[in-house]
Amino acid sequence: MKRIIISHEARQLFRSGAFRALLLLMAGAVAFAAWSGQRSIDRQAEGANAAAAFEDGRRARMREGTEQYQARVLAEGGEYQFASASHSPGAGPPQGTNPGVVGSTTAKYLTLPPTGLASFSIGQSDIQLSYVPVSMNPAMNITRDNELENPVNLMTGSFDIAFVVIFLLPIFILAISYDLLSSEKERGTLAMILAHPISLRELLASKIVARAGVLLAGILALGLAALLAVGASLDQTDTWVRFGLWMAATLLYALFWFALSVLVNVYGRNSAANGIALAGAWLALVVVAPTLVSLLATTLYPAPSRMELTTAARQAQTEAESAYMERLSEYYYDHLELVPEGDGSAMDFLTVAMANRNAVDKAVRPLHDEFQAQLNRQESLVQRFQFISPAIMMQLALNEISGTSADRYEHFLNQAYDFRAEWSEFFTVRFLQRSPLRPADYDQFPVFEHREEPFGAVMTRLLPSLLGMLALLATAIVVPLLRLRRYQVAAT
Amino acid sequence: MLQAVKLTKRYGGIEALKGLDMTVEGGDIYCLLGANGAGKTTTISLFLNFTEPDAGTASVCGLDVTREPLETKKLLAYIPEQVMLYGNLTALENLRYFAQLGGRDYSREEYRGFLSRVGLQPEAVDRRVKTYSKGMRQKVGVAIALAKQARALLLDEPTAGLDPKASNEFSELLLKLKSDGAAILMATHDLFRARETGTRIGIMREGRLVDELSTGEVTHADVEKIYLQHMHAGGHYAQQGASSA
Repeated sequence: MKRIIISHEARQLFRSGAFRALLLLMAGAVAFAAWSGQRSIDRQAEGANAAAAFEDGRRARMREGTEQYQARVLAEGGEYQFASASHSPGAGPPQGTNPGVVGSTTAKYLTLPPTGLASFSIGQSDIQLSYVPVSMNPAMNITRDNELENPVNLMTGSFDIAFVVIFLLPIFILAISYDLLSSEKERGTLAMILAHPISLRELLASKIVARAGVLLAGILALGLAALLAVGASLDQTDTWVRFGLWMAATLLYALFWFALSVLVNVYGRNSAANGIALAGAWLALVVVAPTLVSLLATTLYPAPSRMELTTAARQAQTEAESAYMERLSEYYYDHLELVPEGDGSAMDFLTVAMANRNAVDKAVRPLHDEFQAQLNRQESLVQRFQFISPAIMMQLALNEISGTSADRYEHFLNQAYDFRAEWSEFFTVRFLQRSPLRPADYDQFPVFEHREEPFGAVMTRLLPSLLGMLALLATAIVVPLLRLRRYQVAAT
Repeated sequence: MLQAVKLTKRYGGIEALKGLDMTVEGGDIYCLLGANGAGKTTTISLFLNFTEPDAGTASVCGLDVTREPLETKKLLAYIPEQVMLYGNLTALENLRYFAQLGGRDYSREEYRGFLSRVGLQPEAVDRRVKTYSKGMRQKVGVAIALAKQARALLLDEPTAGLDPKASNEFSELLLKLKSDGAAILMATHDLFRARETGTRIGIMREGRLVDELSTGEVTHADVEKIYLQHMHAGGHYAQQGASSA
């Protein structure tokens, strides 16, 4: 019995020019979003490659210098020596032999590898660059280059598939279901249908199944096409698991909007009233609620400006310079076991600069930590308040699924901070020991290996959003079921 | 076939139907007459279970419509004042959809057969019904009832606004259905047609059945006289109803 209505409704949908136009529009939007998301990911990859190539190139040239130097020492005899930091090229040992110079003037670029689905949801990755420089410089420099994007682009957000799903998909769904019952009632066919052995509930369910079936088949096809076109690592299970999660989240989100249409329709208003009510709901849930939550987060936990951070760093720098002798003893105090013999060599310019840098790092660390902590507090507030709107839940879920969530980024940054400590330590020790870098030492430099979080951690963060949407969907289904008995089929 | 027992319906505080008792047997065409708001449409809505009674029962072939809404609807056909169809489908497609909703299915030729039996021009069968006149749509409505093999028909002013020829054709169809043994309940304002095609006439006023006539025993003039008497003498009958209730 239901099958008849489902196929009738599906046929009616495809006969409607508006629906065919909507389908085309959606396909176009997904294609554009896939392209735009991919472009954003490509740009980051290009940026990362260029930056890494530049810095690695400088290190390679330094290594070349040491190789020539080593050959010369072998040929002419003499000792392989440590170069003191100097800007004037001379006949002495090249700068590449000085670990302090290599460690502080070149940076190592670390990259957060994108997941296979990264281009589906850009998330915050346009603000939080997926590649960061690590050197002996203070830890705050790691995130200093973030927010490089044109602020206007940042304001409007990126047009990725997540945007299509969160903002446009509900509009498509409401457009084909806002008058689910009201149109039949207004056309007069509702009474004709219900004079047959069909219950109102069966009719509603069949109409929804027809629409949801057609739409979700479309979404699955478009999603698959997008994955094949712009997805990466298609040979990895991880990508397909993420795609499955993406589809599950989209299904939940789409069904919520269908349920909302039913909810509005069972109150028996006319199509125009239903349309206005649903447009209002879309505006409130998709536009207003996320804005309010974001506003709440930035008002309750305002992020200290980066300006403050920079000012504090400069202040520390000035202080350090004015009292450098003191700083220097403090620095050596930190590395007592490494104080070189004979004070004279310990006073050179680079040692002083590195001591200063150390002081600056110590001085700005609390501010920097507070800055990060404040961002975390904003993030956790959004996570707590996500349940007021399916759009927020969906955004968090999609970022999580695509591997562009704030938490994954933080996990990466923490590894970067750890690596910075390792990198600094490697060069500091050799520098203070005045141990010259030989070409072979270049192969011993610390290597960064990004450790992916366990999938369980991702699921733990994803689950509240999915369960929240499920609960919202259940509510939106139960209410119409209770209300349906009071539906007036005929005008009285 | 169609039976109402003490059927009562209130909308808000207003009693639209006050303890209606009536029976329509198979082979009967029972015509309900009465002013707008007398309760004719409410009676039909109750038989269709579009709305639930506050007291009393409506039953079709012995089945209570509120307890067995889907079973009773298999036996019923409904032709409203305007038979509304899917404008972008042809008559045949509309007929097939509604027949399938009623749990029946036929071959294309059989569907054409139903449509030709109700007198739809063969060339119109494959045209989209948005181009149809009201008379043509009412004929499709009857074809739907035929295809459903309904045992009882509920008609709500089906001939209002039809031209005399179309109205006459419609009455002929009703007589055919009657001869097949269907129980037909029709709300109408057309006293002449009620006398011509009906077997019995019920006159309603303010939610009550105030009179019942057999068309064989009265002339058209009688029907009109009795009807108008009831309408004019409303106060008197309302009092009588109140004292008997």
